[in-house]
Amino acid sequence: MECIITIELGTNAVRVYAFDLNGNIIGSLKGYCPTFHSEPDYSEQDADQIFITMLYVLKNLLNDVLHPKKIKVRCICFSSSMHSVLAVDKRGNPMGHAIIWADNRANKEAAELKSSSLGKSIYNATGTPLHPMSPLTKIAWIKNQENEKFKQVSKFLSLKAYILQQLTGEYVIDYSIASATGLLNIHKIKWEAESLKFAGITAAMLPELVPVDTKVGKLNKAYQASLGLSADTIILAGSSDGCMAVLGDGVTGEGVATITVEDSGAVRVVSDKVMQDDKQRFFNYLLTENKYVSGGPTNNGGVIFEWFTRQFGDFKNPFDIEHTMLELINEASKVPAGSDGLLFLPYLLGERAPIWNANARGVYFGLNIKHEKSHFVRATIEGILYELYSIGKTLEEHRTINSLSINGSFGTLPFFTQMVADIYNKPVRLRQQYHSVSYGAYLLSATEMGIYKSLDEAAKSVVLPDLATPDKQNNKTYLKYFKIFERLSTKLASEFADIAALQHE
Amino acid sequence: MNQFVLSHTTASELRLFPHIIEIGAIKNTAIRLNGFPLSAERSLRLYYIQEGKFEWSINERRFTLFPGDVALVLPGVEFGNESAVLEIGSFSWICLEISKNEKGELEPGAWSSLTQVESYAIDKILQTDQSPVLQKFTDAGVILKSIQTELFKQELGFQTRVNHLIDEILIQLCRQFTRMLNPGRDFPKTFMKLEQELRQNLSHQWTVEEMAALVGLGTTLFNEKVKSYSGFSPLNYLINIRISEAIKLLKMPDISLTDIALDTGFYSSQHFSTTFKKLTGYTPSQFRKNHLGTN
Repeated sequence: MECIITIELGTNAVRVYAFDLNGNIIGSLKGYCPTFHSEPDYSEQDADQIFITMLYVLKNLLNDVLHPKKIKVRCICFSSSMHSVLAVDKRGNPMGHAIIWADNRANKEAAELKSSSLGKSIYNATGTPLHPMSPLTKIAWIKNQENEKFKQVSKFLSLKAYILQQLTGEYVIDYSIASATGLLNIHKIKWEAESLKFAGITAAMLPELVPVDTKVGKLNKAYQASLGLSADTIILAGSSDGCMAVLGDGVTGEGVATITVEDSGAVRVVSDKVMQDDKQRFFNYLLTENKYVSGGPTNNGGVIFEWFTRQFGDFKNPFDIEHTMLELINEASKVPAGSDGLLFLPYLLGERAPIWNANARGVYFGLNIKHEKSHFVRATIEGILYELYSIGKTLEEHRTINSLSINGSFGTLPFFTQMVADIYNKPVRLRQQYHSVSYGAYLLSATEMGIYKSLDEAAKSVVLPDLATPDKQNNKTYLKYFKIFERLSTKLASEFADIAALQHE
Repeated sequence: MNQFVLSHTTASELRLFPHIIEIGAIKNTAIRLNGFPLSAERSLRLYYIQEGKFEWSINERRFTLFPGDVALVLPGVEFGNESAVLEIGSFSWICLEISKNEKGELEPGAWSSLTQVESYAIDKILQTDQSPVLQKFTDAGVILKSIQTELFKQELGFQTRVNHLIDEILIQLCRQFTRMLNPGRDFPKTFMKLEQELRQNLSHQWTVEEMAALVGLGTTLFNEKVKSYSGFSPLNYLINIRISEAIKLLKMPDISLTDIALDTGFYSSQHFSTTFKKLTGYTPSQFRKNHLGTN
């Protein structure tokens, strides 16, 4: 028997899945990796620890599940979070930790660039919103703030590029990850000169650009031996988690939007055209040469419901957050749609799309004397999903959305899925069993191995079995409240700025 | 409550307990100027409030203590009322001689039945930077009362009982501290704190019991939570950190392999070498050569 392994380098964990050639999961393991915050605005990860964790988890999966059954690994395909930056010296050794997507140190660089005409031109060329998440602004920050280190940097890698280099010796970056750096011209698929100039680097300081289905060299001999893998194991460059999630849900064309609700969230659509948005609200990332994944990210996904649960949930057993959350959801389900007029703006972590306001803060609005705790629970969930709807609604200014697919640990909770269907008034498809990101990596591998003729054919094979159909009555209620939600989200801008300034004191 | 003070220099009741520097109880009915000045002592001090309200300063931080609250003052830490005033109310206290070993760890003496692993965890918990005041910790009052009774009555087995009760109060104190610091709601945060502690003392031969004690869980639940959160058993997670740190050190040319092995908590350079090779496919010296070469 043969299998395909997918490795997802996520923010909190490395997740390794083994699929049989038909796409059934035959094993999976994960390993946690910490994020370090040495300063309030900093979010960093240790590239070597991610590498070791990846090896450890992979080795355990091979030794515990695959080798005993003599299952041969044909292909290993990678996916990872976007926007990470790792500086390495001339020997390829990391110079400190990797700066990850959640890091906001480049706030000033991003704000200045965004308000300039250069910024507009860079956004149009690269499709990456001008935000401290963007590696473009992070590298500029290193140039401005740590110039001595900057001068010693030989290359700026992504975390995935580092892992691939450790395994194979090759420096490569796939189109998807590259298109989320703010450094890639997504129309020409070449490094963008204006970006390079702004960051103060040359193209030689970046890894080689490759399509997502590129076979990256050979696995180093030492790893062949220690892992028990053969020399002909295909190592695929792979893509970003966002693009893989869309592919894994079988979406490679227009008409369907994919909603992800993990800790953070996103709404994404696919097209062969770049989405040109004058207000610079959306990202455009490359899945392949002619497929753009466009959409908007939110900071405030499931993490906000987790926050609520920790503060107000009734923990029957220590640290049993899953059970506590389910009890709260049960409470929320007893309150009618619209929470009897209690609204929640979920901006506890500031917000990205569509308002792009780092100063935005959380608000409960419309409280009256009849509201009970259960109204707060429901309003909190509704607020998180109104925010995802506000992204989808703005996307509809550019694209037609007929139906939705949903994934992510929170999005696939039945209560969340149904609410998304009701708020959007569109049918929602999902698959409970596993991670769309890893399934996307399976489809990419299977296509590369000739099991499918093309990615489109691979995507067409995806069947999302479960369906939530919208409740028209609930939809009407939600839309009435959403209008107020939407107005509040921009109306409070000056108060958000004032309160954020006080909180920073 | 009866007032009393027993001091190891004078009290015959403490003859068998050289580690009890002082034990006492006071009921103060009028404000006494200069009755409670700031001072730093060599002993570990524990105060339990029975009545009244006390404004005390511990390590230059001001606290208000109410009945049922406990103040814990580590050796060498300045403690007292900032204006030296003894306020109205009653409290009891005990001062224990708990010396620091050469590593700066608090170590109860031979009188204690705590195992080495337990003492290590207790030291770590007491020494973490935290609020030295425990609220509503009435168990402490009950135990102090029992110690007093044993000391005064001197019935059969009182020596053993007193020493056990001191162990008991240390154990309950630490359990209370960890519960306060890890209220059982936020495992990611609790795990992050634990991971920092592990990294700071990577050369220590950590046991699962010690790790579980630091986060205030029993070992069974701790194993289960760590496994489901991190994907690793606690000890395997530790190996993961050890190798990751070792990799960084291997890229610095001036540290010997033996030092790296010991600094990162391996028993020996052989143990380091086999574990490292099993995971990475390279021996530490091969790995070092690959990464320090000029290519």
